[in-house]
Amino acid sequence: MNSRERITLALNHSEPDMVPLDLGGCGQTGMHVDTVYLLRQTLGLDAPGTPVKVIEPYQMLGEIKLDLLNAIGGDVVSLGTTGTLFGFKAEGWKPWTTFGGTPVLVPENFDTELSADGNLYVYACGDRSYPPSAKMPAGGFYFDSLSRGEPVQQDTELRLEDNLEEFGPISEDDISHLQSESRRLYEQTDKAIMMVFPGTGFGDIALVPGPMLKEPKGIRGIEEWYISTVSRQKFIYQIFEQQCEIALQNLPRVYEAVGDRISVVWLSGTDFGAQYGPFISPKSYRNLYKPHYRRVNDWIHSNTQWKTFMHCCGSILPLIPDIIDSGFDILNPVQTSAKDMDPQVLKDRFGADLTFWGGGVDTQHVLPFGTADDVRQMVRERLAIFGKGGGYVFNPIHNVQAKVPVENLLAMYDTVRQFRSYPV
Amino acid sequence: MRENISAIYNAILEGDVSATKDGVQAALDAGLDAGQILAEGMIAAMKEVGRLFEEGDYFVPEMLIAARAMQAGLGLLKPHLLSSDVKSAGKVAIGTVKGDLHDIGKNLVALMLEGAGFEVIDLGVDVAPEKFVEAIAVGGANIVAFSALLTTTMPNMKITIDAIQHAGLRDKVKVIIGGAPVTEEYSRQIGADGFSSDASRAVSLAQSLMKTF
Repeated sequence: MNSRERITLALNHSEPDMVPLDLGGCGQTGMHVDTVYLLRQTLGLDAPGTPVKVIEPYQMLGEIKLDLLNAIGGDVVSLGTTGTLFGFKAEGWKPWTTFGGTPVLVPENFDTELSADGNLYVYACGDRSYPPSAKMPAGGFYFDSLSRGEPVQQDTELRLEDNLEEFGPISEDDISHLQSESRRLYEQTDKAIMMVFPGTGFGDIALVPGPMLKEPKGIRGIEEWYISTVSRQKFIYQIFEQQCEIALQNLPRVYEAVGDRISVVWLSGTDFGAQYGPFISPKSYRNLYKPHYRRVNDWIHSNTQWKTFMHCCGSILPLIPDIIDSGFDILNPVQTSAKDMDPQVLKDRFGADLTFWGGGVDTQHVLPFGTADDVRQMVRERLAIFGKGGGYVFNPIHNVQAKVPVENLLAMYDTVRQFRSYPV
Repeated sequence: MRENISAIYNAILEGDVSATKDGVQAALDAGLDAGQILAEGMIAAMKEVGRLFEEGDYFVPEMLIAARAMQAGLGLLKPHLLSSDVKSAGKVAIGTVKGDLHDIGKNLVALMLEGAGFEVIDLGVDVAPEKFVEAIAVGGANIVAFSALLTTTMPNMKITIDAIQHAGLRDKVKVIIGGAPVTEEYSRQIGADGFSSDASRAVSLAQSLMKTF
């Protein structure tokens, strides 16, 4: 059985030969470039000093090449458009060094400024004639969006188009890229392809400040946005409605380019959960977000064989029935360290309707700070609980961060290798 | 009189900025005591907001709009409070630790503390230990509150407590911590005085710690 078949069976809630494994399928199942470098060195995949590409500069995620994927037994490869979250393309690689001292390659237009107090600033589209769009604190590991633009003074000034600037037709270049790259990945590997589809992350708070825009307008402050989900619901609904229309025009063009070579489509990274409960009420989710997710999922399920993937951090138990009703097939990262996100409860209540993609090991305490044995024990438990009956793809909870001990990573992947075969 | 107070209370619960401001102005015009307006109209409303949040009926956006309404009202009330005998519930210096830029939770705690009558020194984000020390030594903070969202910045919590200790100020303040990866156990390990999981509970914690002074 190859990786593609394994993933297909798992996503259809059957038990394949073994639990599938993902590393790098999307921007929430990857690994910080410092850690990719360390892992590659430890596994003897590279000569010392060989730089790793930063394929996603916002979170500083490292490229997961096929040799690493095969070394750990991974089943998924990623496909996306050529842009990055900072609006420049992931191309034209140049050498750089992270705060952690790791030799990396960054995109040509990854242009940064180190301030006197050691903070690092990056520019949208690499254009220094505008204020920077994101900041990495001194000694930090990834960027956070900076709040730019004028605060909202009067509601009468608000224009829908200001919060829609970053959404539009996918370029012909990108359509062409998706076509050729999906063919290459499909023909030259036996891995399942996860396509990251842009434009259907409704209200993704990491993107609300517009890190890819030189001069963002509209509602761009994080708190103002959250307030608007309650006090300007109609306006926000209209933003999502138009965003959805744009997506529904892009989807057929993308399907024509990639067909059913794709196994999974990543649609949304909007986080609806905090550590101890949902960020918003189930009623807000139903009124504001669900109708648009539903339209997108319905189109995909009516016209393609793709399974749809939602990333949503945090404690979201009260929202899961509506997430299922929105049409999603897959839930990630399954943050079991958050309140009421018990693995067995999730599997029992929702395992028939959702594939859990993640949840493999706690990343707030065990993976970074536990012993290798703590990691082994948790990974075994998670494989057994989530893996039963299929409907599970192993991944830790969210991207593996910097400074995770390499022994713990090796313990995680070794335990998966040892205990992933069915019956789990 | 009760109607005036109720109007303010309900306006804050609804997150209605203009109704809150109108209500506070009307109450002042009617000759109500600023301290009474604060305690019964505003602090009581924010306490109810906190309770609704703990019960799972209010969420982050509802808390934010209520806090915004409360702040708008407080802006009108402050000059009248300064000239009266209303005592603050205590002084809290708050910020996220060095290296951490994530402040929604911290901002909510600051707003809820202010809503409970505390004087809040908001040090912002990415706050060096020395700044917390300064807030105690110069700013006169009774409580320092700091948070971290990231596992990579959590260690700066202990470093901050050590800096306060090193400055000879540890027994002059209470230290409370919070943030997504932080736990009660972690707070004990690093020698903090308390931990809370949300903004509403942070207020209760601060209030109980103030009684120990």
